[in-house]
Amino acid sequence: MAKSELRNQVRRLRFENGELTQQQLADKVGVTRQTIIAIEAGKYAPSLPLAFKIARTFQVPIENVFQYEGKDS
Amino acid sequence: MNRQQKIAVTALIVSLLGLFLGITVILMRRFIPDFPKTTVAFGSLILAFGVIVFISRFKKDKGAVTFDERDKPIEKNAHLAGFGAVYLLVILVSYLPIGIAPDAKIPTKWFPFLLPVAVLCQCFAQSLATLIQYGRGGKDGEK
Repeated sequence: MAKSELRNQVRRLRFENGELTQQQLADKVGVTRQTIIAIEAGKYAPSLPLAFKIARTFQVPIENVFQYEGKDS
Repeated sequence: MNRQQKIAVTALIVSLLGLFLGITVILMRRFIPDFPKTTVAFGSLILAFGVIVFISRFKKDKGAVTFDERDKPIEKNAHLAGFGAVYLLVILVSYLPIGIAPDAKIPTKWFPFLLPVAVLCQCFAQSLATLIQYGRGGKDGEK
C-alpha cells in the first residue's frame, strides 16, 4: 500500500500512556496488531471512526494524533 | 505474518507446485505409454485434501480481533484479482485456439481439466494479490 499523507503520533502516545503495547492498543480500539503497526508506519490511513477511537483511547483531540501533510486543494 | 498471509503463502506455493506437477504429468503421459493415470489422479486428490487439512490447522491470530477494517478491502481486492484471473483464463482458452490453429479439433475430454486449471489460477492470483497488498513488515515490523 502507498505511504499515506497522514503523519501520526501513535507510537509516541503509546509510550506516554504507560508504555501501552501495540496489542493492548489494538484490543482497545478493536483492530488487529498488524493494523496498528501499519498505522504507526504510515502505511495505512485509518477510517474516521478508528482515528477517533485511537484519539479517545489516549484522551487527546484527534489532531494531536493524526496530522494531514498533503497539499491543500 | 497474520493467518491470511500464512494461508496466502501456502496457497501460492501449492498452486505453483500444482502447475509444475501438472506440466510434468502431461509431459510424462506423452512419453510414457503405460502411464498410471488412476494412481496419479488419486495421488493428486489425496495431496489436495492434505493441503486443505494443513491450511485448516493454522492457528487464529492472538488478540481479541483477528479481522478488521484493513483486512476487508484487502480480501475484497484479492477476490477480485482471483475472479479477474479466471476471467482472463476463460478468454485465453476461448480465443487462443482460434488464433493458433483455426481448423484444428480439440478433444472434448480436455474440457474437464479446465476446472482444476481455473482453481489453480484463482488460487495463485488471489494469494499473490493478498501478499502484495499486505506488503512487508517494515522496519517497525512485528514488535
